[in-house]
Amino acid sequence: MSSATTTARSLVAIDSPQERTRRLPGLSRLLRWLALGLVLLFFLAPIAYLALVSLKPQPEVLSGQLLPSRIAWENWPNAFASVEVLLFLRNSVIVAALSAALTMLIATPATYAMVRFGAGGSLLRSVVLSSYVAPPIVAVIPLFYLLKWGQLIDTLPGLAIVHGLANLPVAVWLLDSFVREVPRDIEEASWVDGAGRIGTLTSIVLPLIVPGLVAVAIICIILSYNEFLFALVLTYRPQTQTLPVGIALFQGDRLVQFGQMAAASLTGMIPVYIVALFFQRGLIRGLTSGAVK
Amino acid sequence: MNDFRLPSSVSRPPPPITRHLSPSLAPALLVAPLVVGLLAFAVYPLLYLLVLSASKSLLGKPFQAWVGIANYREALANQTFLASLLRSVGFALPVTIIEVILGLAIALLLQRSIRGGQIVRTLILLPLMTPPVMVAVAWKLILSPVGGLLNMVLVSLHLTNTPVSVLGSSTWAFPSIAIADAWQWTPFVILLIFAALQAQPVDIQQAAIVDGASPWQLFRDVTLPMLMPALLAIGLIRFIMALKLFDLVYALTQGGPGFDTTVGSFYIYRIALEQFNVGSAAAMTVIFGLFVSLVTLPVVMLRDWSLRRWS
Repeated sequence: MSSATTTARSLVAIDSPQERTRRLPGLSRLLRWLALGLVLLFFLAPIAYLALVSLKPQPEVLSGQLLPSRIAWENWPNAFASVEVLLFLRNSVIVAALSAALTMLIATPATYAMVRFGAGGSLLRSVVLSSYVAPPIVAVIPLFYLLKWGQLIDTLPGLAIVHGLANLPVAVWLLDSFVREVPRDIEEASWVDGAGRIGTLTSIVLPLIVPGLVAVAIICIILSYNEFLFALVLTYRPQTQTLPVGIALFQGDRLVQFGQMAAASLTGMIPVYIVALFFQRGLIRGLTSGAVK
Repeated sequence: MNDFRLPSSVSRPPPPITRHLSPSLAPALLVAPLVVGLLAFAVYPLLYLLVLSASKSLLGKPFQAWVGIANYREALANQTFLASLLRSVGFALPVTIIEVILGLAIALLLQRSIRGGQIVRTLILLPLMTPPVMVAVAWKLILSPVGGLLNMVLVSLHLTNTPVSVLGSSTWAFPSIAIADAWQWTPFVILLIFAALQAQPVDIQQAAIVDGASPWQLFRDVTLPMLMPALLAIGLIRFIMALKLFDLVYALTQGGPGFDTTVGSFYIYRIALEQFNVGSAAAMTVIFGLFVSLVTLPVVMLRDWSLRRWS
């Protein structure tokens, strides 16, 4: 019961049908907020717990005390001292940026040609699809030898190329729906005016799909930033390892301090969270656009 | 790579329009880089694997001798390997079903609560965007027998006196990975189902309400059937992604206890990069690839059937 007046009125006429229908939405609204709260609790608690542990002194982590008696800020500088978080972060950012640039440069013109001119036909579409379905473990060993042969193994550009190619299927399919939304009349008009196919793409189509390009590029950046298997196999020095690899190796150490591990992990998560919250609209649109056509 | 989504194969490219244009090389030029990329990333690995799988090869010293189909014969006789394939499906299938049901429930909840829904839709982006290795770290801290949140709760509720090692338990290790996976990927399912709900025609719903349908009838007879193709498409995406499971196993359990959480990808990884036997690993990878296509096929057929049936 949300307000005193409703309570009073319901006392007067408890069984009047209008009252019953008025009371029900109040209750169901309460239940709905409760359910939303539970949903948020499930999705945010692990992040909150990580933040809590990162500020807890090690003895209190071990003794199983939920709230720390004092805030152990020292976990953060100690984490940076025991694992080269900033170096890993730098590597991750370089690889993510380079790979997303590569993906977009290849995927954008190709998607346009596939959508508008049917380039590559159904064969190309099915190869794109099956390279998405295949588990990445399939490509790991052959790419290891390819990078070795090209002297790109254990280098940032090497990993960036692999990530850039790995994200092609996703980028093509995400861009597909954005390209499709461009009204054909505009393009036809441009052709009638004598602009060629590539001229129309660069001067008419690309400016129209900038929001889509940004969304897809950000998704590719995050996919590369988060990727683990290729990064684990194709790099092996701290100078080239990305943050997920650095953290995974660090947390595998039995002597590791939980507070430092949490601090190091959060350092890797905060950048993606800032990007995610800043670009949330574009991200949600990019993730869902045409997903369920 | 944990890709985000798979397209529905429903959308065919519209017929090319070229009547204003003279024949040109432009389309071929525009797709050429993609073709090269796919050759390097999809075609070359497949061919290389096939050749590698017919050889005795170590990581540092490949192609020592040709062995024909010996690697395949060995792989198919390897019970641990075969069990790891089944484990991949045994993980992917329940996880997909749980995530789709949970995602549907939460998406319906969000649809009915306009203001709160907006905030929740933003905040659930966070698990989705978290690097899987960090997801594993967070859940490892929660599930840890020493100082873990779960054990604190269990002890304070007097459900246990001795700390439980969830990740070290044969019974609970896999469900733990599934929970971490659901934490990361249910938001994705929610967003997709929410988008599908928004795309539903409102007039049919309204007609049903005017006809006096109860909320449950509305859901069962109107919303759910219209949503079915989308649910199956989303389920298919998640199924394919869940079959690729690697990161969480690596960071949470290393495949243990014993081989209890060793899925296909992780077993092949160990053979190739811990035992350096890339010849065997190549044969296993080919078998794993075929196996994945084989188990994905029924789901694809189910989705296509539902598309014909409901749209």
